[in-house]
Amino acid sequence: MIWLTWRQFRAQAITAAAALAAFAIVLAAAEPSLSGVYHSSGFASCHGAACTGLASTFINDLASGGGIAGVPETPYMIVYFLSVVVILIAPAIIGIFWGAPLIARELEAGTFRLAWNQSVTRTRWLAVKLALIGVAAMAVTEAFSLIQAWWAAPIGKAVGLGGSGSIFSETRFGVFVFPTHGITPLGYAAFGFALGVTAGLLVRRAIPAMAITLAIFAAAQFFTPLIRPNLFPTSQTVATIAATGANVSLTANPRLALTATTVPGHPGAWIISSDGVNAAGQPVSTVPAACEPLIPQTFVSHRGPATSGPGPNALNNCVASHGIRVAERYQPASHYWPLQWSETGMFLALALALTWYCFWRLNRRRRLAR
Amino acid sequence: MTAVIQTGELGKRYHKTWALAGCTLSIPAGHVVGLVGPNGAGKTTLINLATGMLAPTAGTIEVLGGRPASDPAQLARVGYLAQDAPLYAGLSVADHLRLGAHLNGGWDAGLARDRAGRLGLDLGQKAGTLSGGQRAQLALTLAIAKRPELLILDEPVASLDPLARREFLQDLMESVAEQQVSVVLSSHLISDLERVCDYVIVLAGSRVRLAGPVDDLLATHHLLSGPRRDPASLPGEVQVITASHTDVQSTLLVRSSGPVLDPAWAVSGVGLEDLVLAYMKQAARPAPRSSRRLEVQK
Repeated sequence: MIWLTWRQFRAQAITAAAALAAFAIVLAAAEPSLSGVYHSSGFASCHGAACTGLASTFINDLASGGGIAGVPETPYMIVYFLSVVVILIAPAIIGIFWGAPLIARELEAGTFRLAWNQSVTRTRWLAVKLALIGVAAMAVTEAFSLIQAWWAAPIGKAVGLGGSGSIFSETRFGVFVFPTHGITPLGYAAFGFALGVTAGLLVRRAIPAMAITLAIFAAAQFFTPLIRPNLFPTSQTVATIAATGANVSLTANPRLALTATTVPGHPGAWIISSDGVNAAGQPVSTVPAACEPLIPQTFVSHRGPATSGPGPNALNNCVASHGIRVAERYQPASHYWPLQWSETGMFLALALALTWYCFWRLNRRRRLAR
Repeated sequence: MTAVIQTGELGKRYHKTWALAGCTLSIPAGHVVGLVGPNGAGKTTLINLATGMLAPTAGTIEVLGGRPASDPAQLARVGYLAQDAPLYAGLSVADHLRLGAHLNGGWDAGLARDRAGRLGLDLGQKAGTLSGGQRAQLALTLAIAKRPELLILDEPVASLDPLARREFLQDLMESVAEQQVSVVLSSHLISDLERVCDYVIVLAGSRVRLAGPVDDLLATHHLLSGPRRDPASLPGEVQVITASHTDVQSTLLVRSSGPVLDPAWAVSGVGLEDLVLAYMKQAARPAPRSSRRLEVQK
């Protein structure tokens, strides 16, 4: 059975190996120049408090093409962006091209009658296929992730220290960074593959199964960030506007919005929400009347935080002087791995449930081909 | 001898249509069994139940004393050649033989190689480029080289031209004689079966109409012709299968264990093809149910 699985999977395996090799070569080729900027910015050899400033220097250098003559402005952005996208879509590609045809092709071509009438039960047939190709799916996706993590390590370090510029602004909790690093790629790969296999078994035709796989996987990828903050219990704190690095901004009416940038005492925390509260801890949704004259005219017509000028700072101070503080809900940096395990576990559990369904469905021996 | 296929009130329903109903059979070992009936009669359904591709809706089925496809040992005992001889188009002939060797503990590599050589199959050729006859031969090789006790073939020659058809059946008969294997093969053409089968089962309208050794069936069926008269006047032990009348003459196909002694009838023997057609006709006559949607399975 292992021989047959390999024989039928050979072409896809070679394609995946080639893609992985190309990915590694591109990033390896881009590594020396990234490393050059890393060192030339001084960030590589920084110590202590100096690192924060140098992290910003490094990120700014990257965003502007490293200041190296002849280097266009955006190569690092393009490589960084594409490499993350590859990891993001790899599980979908695997589900579409490895998962969906796995059973559907056999049903379409009638070869399941050949395969299931050798001296091997269909349970074993499916078990060997799912185990070998499933492990390959997880290994390939994780390999993409590890190669990218190696290449982007200086960027991750700088962003973690507050450096931020153009697309290099996501911490490891970021919407694109979190599901492409750590162990989450394993969960997504297993889920994508199992989803494809199940769709193929149910739809019985490869092409529609591929489309369904893509649609459901994309939906899962879209909705997961919405539930991610709650995959592990959050922490809460209340601190002053200054301590949280918050800025007063306004939505229409004028309503008060406070966007915190740090959690005091918890560097690297992932802030999920920040809201204004009064001394009694009750939510405050409007700017105190005394501070209203300080609201810049641009706020009335434009929403969002102010970018510069003394106005907002005066407004910040005024709001703070009225006893308004910031209530933050956050995941501390120490929750990174618990969150990784939760998300990975969730997708592995889904993959297992789908796999179990496939076995059950196959052994019900209902009519599989028309 | 034990039965190769034993069924009791076996039935299979697809949604609201019974593809096979009330099928009770006991096929003894050591025969080449022809499963014959019009398209959609339930032949493929019966074969799918016997190979364990489908689970029955009603009744029981045992193949060689075991539940179909229940475990590797049971799978090893039954060779199955599905309709249209499915093969992996992208795999070569040699790959298919390797597949057989890897997936069957009892694989007879020598037999497989010899057959492939004798049939002129190019080991390097992709199965997708083989002719219909070669496909059928390769699929049969896979089914035979696992050394089964029972070989089940679903319309093995339906898609072959007359020459390939003859060659296939001839080769099948030689293999059967060498290996002492029981065979069940289905066809909607009686002429295919006539030369190779010594046991016949007629399926029509999703029910078994006739089953038995060909010699016995031919010995107990007679064609009577004589002046026109009411078939009811025949003795009770004579069962009329079909009757046709002209103004002056009646022709009856009857089943009777003893000879028909009435001197008014001219009695003659009946051929297998006429016999089978008579049972199909009888099945179609009493209730041409309009709702009978014929399930054609691929």
